[in-house]
Amino acid sequence: MSIIKAINLEKHYPNPENPGKTFAAVNAINLTINAGEIFGLLGPNGAGKTSTLEMLEGLSAIDNGEVFVDNIDVKNDPYEVKKIIGVQLQSNEYFDRLNLSDLLILFANLYSVSIDPRALLAKVDLENKIHALPDDLSGGQKQRFSIACALVNNPKILFLDEPTTGLDPQAKRNLWNLVKELNEEGMTIVLTTHNMEEAEYLCNRIAIMDKGSIIAQDTPQQLILDFAPDPHETPTQGNIEDVFLALTGHGLRD
Amino acid sequence: MFTKPQIHLASIFIKIFYRDRQSLFFSLLFPLIFTCIFLFSGGEPNPTKLGLVNQSENELSLKFVELVKKEKSFLVKEGSELELKEELIAADQTAIIIIPKNFNEFPDPGMLRLLLDASQVRQVGAIRDSLEAVLLSIERDIRNIEPMFSLQLEDVKSRPQRYIDFLLPGILAYMLMNLCIAGSGFNIVEYRRRGILKRLFVTPIQPKDFIISIVLARMFIIMMQLSVILGLAIGLLKINIVGGLVPLYGVILFGAFIFLCVGFFLGSLAKTQESIRPLVLLFTFPQLILSGIFFPISYLPGLIQPIASGLPLSVIASTMRNIANDGGALFAINFNFFGIVFWAFFSFFIATKFFVWQKVAS
Repeated sequence: MSIIKAINLEKHYPNPENPGKTFAAVNAINLTINAGEIFGLLGPNGAGKTSTLEMLEGLSAIDNGEVFVDNIDVKNDPYEVKKIIGVQLQSNEYFDRLNLSDLLILFANLYSVSIDPRALLAKVDLENKIHALPDDLSGGQKQRFSIACALVNNPKILFLDEPTTGLDPQAKRNLWNLVKELNEEGMTIVLTTHNMEEAEYLCNRIAIMDKGSIIAQDTPQQLILDFAPDPHETPTQGNIEDVFLALTGHGLRD
Repeated sequence: MFTKPQIHLASIFIKIFYRDRQSLFFSLLFPLIFTCIFLFSGGEPNPTKLGLVNQSENELSLKFVELVKKEKSFLVKEGSELELKEELIAADQTAIIIIPKNFNEFPDPGMLRLLLDASQVRQVGAIRDSLEAVLLSIERDIRNIEPMFSLQLEDVKSRPQRYIDFLLPGILAYMLMNLCIAGSGFNIVEYRRRGILKRLFVTPIQPKDFIISIVLARMFIIMMQLSVILGLAIGLLKINIVGGLVPLYGVILFGAFIFLCVGFFLGSLAKTQESIRPLVLLFTFPQLILSGIFFPISYLPGLIQPIASGLPLSVIASTMRNIANDGGALFAINFNFFGIVFWAFFSFFIATKFFVWQKVAS
């Protein structure tokens, strides 16, 4: 059963190279995300992943097309959508001079709900940091705290924007386990990532984006079968990174 | 009236402000320094330092010296012309009066000479007026005539008007402006730069919730900060708020609204902390000079007085001064009232016109 449905979704921004003109950061994409799955949006820099995610979250205006989240029209009722989703952003900045407990209580109040900050921090393995300031946390701890902030309203859907960027292997593995646990509890998870291993390990289904369009969408296994080089033709065992490079090319992106 | 998220967010802004000891200290430092200066100086400007050279040394000149010394606005020092001139050049004296040798020769007495630093233009008039009054009194004595007319000064306010009485409302208004601009304009730019606004925007709060929270928090902070200064002024400097505290706080609330709106507008225009600083300075600095904070607007050149009188800080400070010193009403129909109404509407218009939440949050 689908929980998110995007139809002909478009986002345009002013074109810095051609003043007065716009370019399509997201170009008429269609997406269906099922309840209870981990769905990955993959793509090189500038592919339109974050723009797509922000439109699904009701964070950014939809220029064209429609999005339904749990049957709520995001365009007409973004604030209703925000009540049932949790969002972890790429940036991890918070108000100064507030500790983790203060911040969690603040975010809970913005949803008009009450929480036990200690229990929520225990869930992301930060219980002993309850009185710490966010600036005192390591990169991995900051990402886990960011997820805790996104969980204050016990969301149906959790959006994660490049959650493991800049983390060391241990912190990355720890975060993957947390995402798996949340998913096992029934939460639908939508994430963007550059990390092929992450997509392959975590996601039930993947959409690969390039230049604002979805160029492939399926389970990791099926994408490997369809697009990775044939193991009989090359000595390399195919994986999702091979799929990614086969589809988006080897050229550097900004 | 207010929602739970609005009240909680406002309480968070207050908590952040009071946990920031440094900004708390500096927001009170400037007005506290002023209060202390006036506490220890008695609230009056220093008397003019006047050198006196008596080349005549006769009965008439001694009487003149005695009368000049009685003038409270002068601090007289007698000495030689050479010595006092050196002090005048070194700015240790403001002016020197030289009584000529033939001061008592009638009907053609020698002329008094007044040496001064031409840059002290404002004081020249006051010195000359006092000296002329003394000379007139001596002349009447010599000619043995009674003054035909007399002028009795009666203070209709029946109380002494000190400089601190004039200054305090202006200082409070200036403090109000700074607290508001810093709390709205600077904060918005900083929260946007660090992605904090975006973090708030992923929750179900709406732009109006955010703005109401900031306004509520700032109103509270301003009331607390101004009350500290006002309390010290009333307690230590014996300042009397003739019109009462309620109308005074009423003007403070109107002023806070105007300056918060201006802050939101400036914060929406500026993209970075670097660009908001000159924008804020462009707004606040001319008002510091022109809005009659330290001296009356009537001291300014006539050409710019109408403009200066209409500035937002001028109308707020003048209304506060009117309430504090003259017992004026909050809604007295006068130029300042219309000024406040105009700035309230205008600032709200530009704040809402330019404050685009999506752009601010992204």
